[in-house]
Amino acid sequence: MTRPYPRIAVIRFPGMNCEEETRRAVAAAGLACDVFMWNGPTDELALYDGYVLPGGFSYQDRVRAGAIAAKDRVVDCLFEEAAAGKPVIGICNGAQILLEAGLVPGFEPGRVEMGLATNIMPDRDGYYTRWTHLEVVDTGSSATCSFGRGDVVPIPVAHAEGRFVTSTEGLLDRLEENGQVVLRYVGPDGASDPGFPSNPNGSSRAIAGIRNVEGNVVAMMPHPERAAWLFQVPERLAGPWGASRRSARGERTLLEPGPGAAVMRSLRTFAERRSEEA
Amino acid sequence: MISSAPPSARIVRIRNTTDEELTLGLAGAGLSFSLDEARKVAKILGRDPTVVEAHIFNTMWSEHCSYKSSRTVLGEHLPTEASNVVLGPGEDAGIVRLCEIDGVSYCVAIAHESHNHPSQIVPNEGAATGIGGIVRDVYCMGADVVGVMDPLRFGDPEGPNAERTREIVHGVVEGIWQYGDALGVPNLGGDVYFDRSFDDNCLVNVVALGLVREDAIVRSRVPAEARDASYDLVLVGKPTDPSGFGGATFASRILDEEKALSDKYAVQVPDPFLKRMLTVATQEVLALVRERGAAIGFKDLGAGGIACATSEVGAAAGLGVRIDLSKVPVAERDMAPEVIACSETQERYCLVVPTGLTADVLRIFNEDFELPELCHGARAEVIGEVIPEPRFVLLHEGAVVCDASTEEITTGICYARPAAERARNADAPAVPADVDVTAAILAVAGSPNVASREHVYRHYDGEVKGNTVVRPGEADAGVIAPIPGEVAGVAVSADGNPFLGAIDPYTAGAAAVAESVRNVAAVGAVPIALTDCLNFGNPEEPEVFHDFVEAVRGIGDAARGIGQRDSDEPIPVVSGNVSFYNQSSAGSAILPSPIVCCVGYLADVTKHLTMGFEEPGNAIYLLGRRTGALGGSEFARGPLGATGGQPPAVDFEAERAMMSCVTVLAEARLAAACHDISDGGLAIAALEMMLTAAPDRSIGAWVDVSTLGGAERSVLEPNDQGRPVAASVAARLLLCEDGGYLLEVAPRDEGDVVALLGMKDVWFRRLGETTDDPSLTIRSVEGGDVTIARDDLARAWNGGATRVML
Repeated sequence: MTRPYPRIAVIRFPGMNCEEETRRAVAAAGLACDVFMWNGPTDELALYDGYVLPGGFSYQDRVRAGAIAAKDRVVDCLFEEAAAGKPVIGICNGAQILLEAGLVPGFEPGRVEMGLATNIMPDRDGYYTRWTHLEVVDTGSSATCSFGRGDVVPIPVAHAEGRFVTSTEGLLDRLEENGQVVLRYVGPDGASDPGFPSNPNGSSRAIAGIRNVEGNVVAMMPHPERAAWLFQVPERLAGPWGASRRSARGERTLLEPGPGAAVMRSLRTFAERRSEEA
Repeated sequence: MISSAPPSARIVRIRNTTDEELTLGLAGAGLSFSLDEARKVAKILGRDPTVVEAHIFNTMWSEHCSYKSSRTVLGEHLPTEASNVVLGPGEDAGIVRLCEIDGVSYCVAIAHESHNHPSQIVPNEGAATGIGGIVRDVYCMGADVVGVMDPLRFGDPEGPNAERTREIVHGVVEGIWQYGDALGVPNLGGDVYFDRSFDDNCLVNVVALGLVREDAIVRSRVPAEARDASYDLVLVGKPTDPSGFGGATFASRILDEEKALSDKYAVQVPDPFLKRMLTVATQEVLALVRERGAAIGFKDLGAGGIACATSEVGAAAGLGVRIDLSKVPVAERDMAPEVIACSETQERYCLVVPTGLTADVLRIFNEDFELPELCHGARAEVIGEVIPEPRFVLLHEGAVVCDASTEEITTGICYARPAAERARNADAPAVPADVDVTAAILAVAGSPNVASREHVYRHYDGEVKGNTVVRPGEADAGVIAPIPGEVAGVAVSADGNPFLGAIDPYTAGAAAVAESVRNVAAVGAVPIALTDCLNFGNPEEPEVFHDFVEAVRGIGDAARGIGQRDSDEPIPVVSGNVSFYNQSSAGSAILPSPIVCCVGYLADVTKHLTMGFEEPGNAIYLLGRRTGALGGSEFARGPLGATGGQPPAVDFEAERAMMSCVTVLAEARLAAACHDISDGGLAIAALEMMLTAAPDRSIGAWVDVSTLGGAERSVLEPNDQGRPVAASVAARLLLCEDGGYLLEVAPRDEGDVVALLGMKDVWFRRLGETTDDPSLTIRSVEGGDVTIARDDLARAWNGGATRVML
């Protein structure tokens, strides 16, 4: 008997704008995927095997990015399903919602322990878009379990508020000790580089993504759905992915998976592993 | 039949008034049209108009809405028809066929507008609502917006108004990203120029590009089915408020900074969040309409608000509409009927739907997408109905406030303006014999008008929707693959060098077409359509009007002269906009600024080209003669300080042959990289190819200026090859702005490339080679080779624009 594909819900909060390409990227990893409305029935939402909160500007970033969506009743449902071990990945605005909801880092679930603050960049302010290079620091999460530890993966960022910060003393050390820092901005060659533009927003310890203690909930600022196919990679990108992109010009291989596809494959692996265990 | 005004409505007294009385009366009613125009209204109606009717005419007869000065000129010169055109100018966006896949015809919808005056007064909101307005024009054709672009013109950031100019730059860029990024439409490019003539009147042009299946196009008119069935008018979006009341007339007069404060109310308030929700909800509505096989009308509310949109959808079908203004959801109490009817509140659409579908449409907007819960006062509401007799009837609190035939209300107005050529400075720029070639190249590279635009485009989301193949800064045009899973590609570029406009508006119009075509061809796309936005001063001044006529003539000649690649047809101009009165009250007009956008098609997007050098040891080919004419060039205006002379003429036959060759070379995969030559000439094109190579590749180049001889009117003879060239001649040839391309070609492909170029009769030279030495070397200059280190080039080019935007 063939096992059915895990079903993933991409949750559309009002004002999000990346749900469709996120759904396509999730589906391309061999997952069944629907866009689920924020005001949809939560008993139906609970039937999915995993969740992705995509990018955008939920509720117009009123108060703070992600703050209003974090109070939505679908988030209560996410708390329950996350507690049951289902994968939940928040991308960009989705990450902001998970932090505002207190789902990550989740030492005290429901309490806001970290924030995603306004970018700090030399000679500029506001929104910033750029392809960044990320080191996979931890492979125990729903977004990174298909990578190798230490892999360098290029994925673009696009945000005005993406700087991981906390006022809780010792929290950053605790995150690192627990392996909860999953992605870190590095230079194109993979070397540590906390400076701009390698670290595009001044994030503490160049953090690009974190997870909860269990690893099923991940908040990441970079957009893997914009790196899901090779054609999306810029030709002028440094490193092996840029070289692959250039040599694939004129070939059908340009339509094959890109560096961010492994995030969606991780989601699939994580969801399948969990359903096997269950 | 002469009708009488509705008895209960307030009227504007026009008949039997003296000029003095009428002047006072119009001013008192807040009406800006001329006395003659007011008397014409009374004549058309056969009576004095109601206040509401007067405001409708006032808006409809504004330059912005009526094209009363420009219509005849546009009609005379611009080619708007070709076999690939589905819908030419006339509705909210033009539509051309892109490709057919599995029996489905996919089309591109494109609209191009300006939002200049609002952006000068309130830069952030002005620029944001510019995007907001242009995307509605494309959405309401049933299309999904897949890209936007912003050509921008600002004042001198180092001149006497530097502080205000920099505020405007920051505000405009911020408005564009805050709106566009939140709406979720990728920004695919644009351009930026700085000049003192824009100090009091910046230009913010906007382009929106949409994808639509041909069988899903929705028209901005009452459908023919409404003759036999009951149809409702549904208004959806933001509650109507007084914002933007008088916006169209504001755009149609000289900008007076003194009055800026009161004009602020003519600028609308942007809400990208509501627009995003309207967009996704509208997609559900359109899906339902298709499922039911219903015919609907769909129109954006722009200039003139409810009154203009609804009268036009009715008039287009020869039917009438009756609207109850009391049913319009409003943001404030006690709004006057003319304000409800004519305010330009943002984020609103009008749908004309069969009555049987109305409840479902309201449910999708109001319940499924909870518009009233998400935005205070926002909702979809039935505000009226289609009526069989061709009348435009507005009611307010039970009283008829407008009752005229739709034909009368939408009657056009047209002027033949006098034109007179202005005196030009014919002195050709002279290059001194002791010119420092290195310094000249670095100065041009570091000019804010030539340098890298990275500081701007990194604010813009170029990748949302996940379809982007080539981003701003990587090549001459943005490229997307808008149909997921398919290799069909679309390229777009918008161009228009205002410094050519200052010298020769005909050449400025022609060069804008040629450059946008080159930019699209340089990524390997075949040009399929053009749009234009024509920005000029006061058309009532004969010299300004002459500039306008000449620019339009240049655009038309170039669109026909270059033409579509595989046929004798012109590249059709399918939509556009005229923006007059870009002039400060102090009297100075902007440089004549025709801006043209070109759309191109790639049958296989995997074969696109970018501009960064790929490998050391490849050949560099130059396509296109160097005449050495420097009029209007950055070299002349900057280092030489010369504003006169003639720019290079645009050679349509040569542009056509080069476009054809370059796109065929891309399809045959014979080029490694390609870049158009325009601002700053071939030296700048070469250094941009160096600086946009992958940063972990260290690629330089040498070029030999002695190869450039043999061009008609050139300063070099063909037999000069290999003989050192005087520095002044080298600088002239390297920095003149004749159109052309630089191609990087691998040695194995050189034979094929040369054969094709020869076959198509393209003027070309093997100019040089790429190297693994990170520098640009110019060979055959008297006194020895000129070598400029990559770091020096990068410092000038990367920092030149950022420097003036901080």
